[in-house]
Amino acid sequence: MATSNNIKKKKTKPAIISEDQITKKQSTLYAFISFAVVVVLWQLAVLFLPNFGNIFPGPYDVVALMIKIVKEPVGRLTLFAHLGWTLKRIFIGYIIGAVIGVITGLAMGTSKLANAIISPVFEILRPIPAIAWVPMAILWFGLGEASKYFIIGFSTFVICALNSIAGARATSEKLKGAARMLGASERQLFSKIILPSSVPQIFAGLQISLSASCSTILAAEMVRSEEGAGWLILRGMNTGNMTLVLVGLIVISVTGLILATVMRAIERKAISWSFRGK
Amino acid sequence: MGQDSIKLEVKNMTKKFGDLHVLDDITFNVKKGEFLCIVGPTGCGKTTFLNCLTHIYETTEGSILLDGEEVDLEKHNIAYILQEYSAYPWLTVQENIQFGLEIKGYPKDEIIKKAEATMKLVGLERFKDYYPNKLSTSMLQRVVIARTFATDPELLLMDEPYGQLDIELRFRLEDELIRIWQETDTTVIFITHNIEEAVYLAERILVLTNKPTTIKEEVLCDLPRPRDVTSPEFIKIRDKVTELIKWW
Repeated sequence: MATSNNIKKKKTKPAIISEDQITKKQSTLYAFISFAVVVVLWQLAVLFLPNFGNIFPGPYDVVALMIKIVKEPVGRLTLFAHLGWTLKRIFIGYIIGAVIGVITGLAMGTSKLANAIISPVFEILRPIPAIAWVPMAILWFGLGEASKYFIIGFSTFVICALNSIAGARATSEKLKGAARMLGASERQLFSKIILPSSVPQIFAGLQISLSASCSTILAAEMVRSEEGAGWLILRGMNTGNMTLVLVGLIVISVTGLILATVMRAIERKAISWSFRGK
Repeated sequence: MGQDSIKLEVKNMTKKFGDLHVLDDITFNVKKGEFLCIVGPTGCGKTTFLNCLTHIYETTEGSILLDGEEVDLEKHNIAYILQEYSAYPWLTVQENIQFGLEIKGYPKDEIIKKAEATMKLVGLERFKDYYPNKLSTSMLQRVVIARTFATDPELLLMDEPYGQLDIELRFRLEDELIRIWQETDTTVIFITHNIEEAVYLAERILVLTNKPTTIKEEVLCDLPRPRDVTSPEFIKIRDKVTELIKWW
């Protein structure tokens, strides 16, 4: 019909729940702007506030030092090597802790027997901050890497276990009942219902423990190491070099960012069905 | 009716939770392929009644025989559809429908064939790759119904499956249920507190009393289908059932 072609597209208000209010391009732009504003304000403060630069080195100095230590080593290693060490320590300790934590947590959340056996010990271990284990860890595993894996692993273990317990226990009774009615065995009930339904909670635990790992590794490296972000910060502190401290902060931030991004990508694949997967 | 056409035989079913006497000496039969509705006042133990039928609860006394044998969930294929939607959120529509078949260990090609046929039956083919969080409530209930019918249950128990739906949707899903029931020849026991729904669906209605629950009366409901809720015959049966429930 002729008339239908004449109807102009009306400009409407955006819907309350709109799927795509900010495009990817826009979001990159905004990220860039907010980042740039912070850096500019920071540099301006250093330039114009008296004495500010002494207690808080400006972005120019920080970047200059970073570029310098990409080639020239600080201590034994260059910038990327320090980053690599921290990354590797978190990664190994984290994987060990996450695997043990998730398995323990699922067992406790699923089986009353497992819970009765494990939970008394778990409840005693749980409130202990991972850092508190440093002296023991050094005694048991020596000054090398193994003691750091242990400390990271412990902090990851506790958080992952707690979230896995909660995930397994939160499995809906009606979904379990429906599977039982269809004739599912206890084993199928676990693998086909409890496990998949716990996955969002497990991933929440994995993300939280990743952040916790970053703080734990810093403390561990500051206590005893010759490389890594924690060591950079400590070295800066001991030599009065605040610029190096800031570089250390950036290194740990980048480490956390890399790991969280990888985890997020895995999560997105694993639970596309859930709100967390969006 | 001949002895061989009886699907389910409930004899003197009694259930007590401690001192609480819930079911009192209930005896009835269900014919093969029959659509039986059970109505009763709220809190009369309808759900306990179904849970005893499926042996989720032990009965205190009496026996429940399916094809002449004690009910055994591992052997008998009894399906149970609840008021809440129990579609698995981490599975797509198709995977949800295949779930029961996989649990029961059907061969792979048969699973796909059966799932596709069932999706067609309930009109979900277009949504087969959707996750439940993208579906409306009525479609979710259809997913559950499809998952249930895919396994060819010998006996289908439904506990107010449409209790939370609005009237229009309920009518549509009721018609759909009748159509699937006619096509598959499943034996259905449908519990509801909605008298009109019972008269619309059932071939026979059992009216329950208050606790301790027993069968108050059996109402035959042999109206032709599709049924007209405004026809005098329909209203007559509806009023009769209503009176039975009201009159204590």
